[in-house]
Amino acid sequence: MARSRRVNTITIGTFYTHLVKAVFAALLALLPATLMAAAAPADRLSDGDKTCLGCHGSDALKKELPGGKVLSLHVQGDGFAQSVHGVLGCAACHADVDLKTHPQNPKTIASSREYSIAMTKVCSGCHAEALKHNETSVHAKLLASGKPSAPVCTDCHSSHAVTPKTAYDTCVGCHLAAMEAHQKWLPNAGLHLEVVSCAACHAPAAQRMVDLRLYDGAAKKWVSEKEGKPEFENMARAADTDGNGLNAMELRKLMGQINRDEAAQPKNLRGRIELRTGVEAHRLSGKSEAIKDCTICHRQGAEPFQNVSVSLVSADGKPLRYKAQKEVLSSALSVDSLREFYAVGGTRSVFLDILLLLALLAGVSVPIGHQILKIIVKKQLAREAQQDAAAKAKGQDRP
Amino acid sequence: MQRIYVHPLPVRIWHMINAVGFVAMILTGTQIRYVGLFDLMSFRTAVTWHNWIGFVLIGNYFIWLLFYLFTDKIRVYHPELSPTKHFQASFRQLQYYGYGIFKGSPNPHQVSAYDKFNPMQSMMYQVVMFLLVPLLAVTGILLWDVQGFYGAVDFFGGVRVVDAVHVLIYIFFVFFIFFHVYMGSLGHTVTAHYKAMFVTGYEEVEGEPDRGGATKP
Repeated sequence: MARSRRVNTITIGTFYTHLVKAVFAALLALLPATLMAAAAPADRLSDGDKTCLGCHGSDALKKELPGGKVLSLHVQGDGFAQSVHGVLGCAACHADVDLKTHPQNPKTIASSREYSIAMTKVCSGCHAEALKHNETSVHAKLLASGKPSAPVCTDCHSSHAVTPKTAYDTCVGCHLAAMEAHQKWLPNAGLHLEVVSCAACHAPAAQRMVDLRLYDGAAKKWVSEKEGKPEFENMARAADTDGNGLNAMELRKLMGQINRDEAAQPKNLRGRIELRTGVEAHRLSGKSEAIKDCTICHRQGAEPFQNVSVSLVSADGKPLRYKAQKEVLSSALSVDSLREFYAVGGTRSVFLDILLLLALLAGVSVPIGHQILKIIVKKQLAREAQQDAAAKAKGQDRP
Repeated sequence: MQRIYVHPLPVRIWHMINAVGFVAMILTGTQIRYVGLFDLMSFRTAVTWHNWIGFVLIGNYFIWLLFYLFTDKIRVYHPELSPTKHFQASFRQLQYYGYGIFKGSPNPHQVSAYDKFNPMQSMMYQVVMFLLVPLLAVTGILLWDVQGFYGAVDFFGGVRVVDAVHVLIYIFFVFFIFFHVYMGSLGHTVTAHYKAMFVTGYEEVEGEPDRGGATKP
């Protein structure tokens, strides 16, 4: 007993020695994490990619093209590392580069434009479906006609910092007058351009959907999931108790869970009309074929409202979606959970439709009912008058 | 039969514009909300007309408001402050419309220039003119530019709340239009109230007018 007590007993001096060691060990353990947090995204790239960036990371790396033009060969390492292609590495697209002969035997590039067009073949290696849709698009037709401003893959998606962008930001890069053009004919043009993806109207053959995306009104930006803490899908799955997509009640529950911190500014769902698949966005038609018919959305049972998802942006910028039932759009229970999305005619509440029908019936019934009452009362009065007259006549007949 | 001037020209003009405007707003509003159920006009045309007529009606509301604010005729909208008196008078009025009118009994409410509404009308018009029409206009303006009025829409609980209020009042007015037009036919002749409100301004009443207002024998 005395022995064990001696083992468990430490002096003040020993205590401080242990404490200093513990603090030191903790600091040592935290150091790599701290260093990693401070590290540039490009540091995450493979050694091979870092070797490429050894030269291509320099602003000064340029190539003279025929005709005296200059092509920058600079690649922003951080931008590439953070892009959706960062994990693939340089060689995935530049497989033609032989390190035995590079850079001693440089490639012959006629022009920057020629090179971009040639590289679309590389894109089709992975994105064959998107390129297939693109073949019939207005952009492909312009390219075939030889228009120098006709866009190719890299004009919309950029060459190295390839990240998912909103369609609007991408499109207005060239279509600078898009807003003015829409304001001429489209009511609430600003709102439409904010919540309707360009391709939703300009790829009329594509299938549309409603994407209810989480928005932080206080920070004025879409909510992104924190890196390394993928909570959204688990929360949505937990709310969807029957596993058939979120219904209005389950959506309320999910929003309650997302906004459980009462002190924080609540986050809301903003509805966007998107295409069901991103590849379909490449089926862009000419302006004259774009949808101008408002009733594609503004009518009950409209095609875009048949598929609904709730989403937020993942840490790497891609949308993380969870299916919701289409009834959430028109349910009276969604008044608060969908407080920022409503499409007149398309997402109207059935409850209000029933009230309107009752009001209409009441409006027609009042005059009809009053006239029926008039007939009944008048008949009753006539009967009473007849009875009075008969009674009087009877009285007069008596001697 | 006495003729009493109860509907001054500004009120008649306001009422005429309102009558046409409200019917047009209900038709265009129904078209906007129920595309496919019936197709009177295109959705875009309905939206454009609904917006323009809406602004005309908001301006028109101010004809009514300014007229009553700056004349002593505001007395017609003075509420009866005694609930007992109000409900007794309302009950008498209800008895009249439910029975007395068919018997040829006199209307318990005697119209005059400063007391032209019966107790039930008085209560209904106060709710309509001081609550429902302003709410309809405010929610309509917010829905006209949801993006521009984002802060206000959010303050009122979001676009669905604003839309629900707008639609609920629209539903009330769908009923009210039928009710109002029918009640207008219950004068001493079917067209008497219509003529007074739309054309002459003079209501014809039995006996001597009790107080105020220009009269014509």
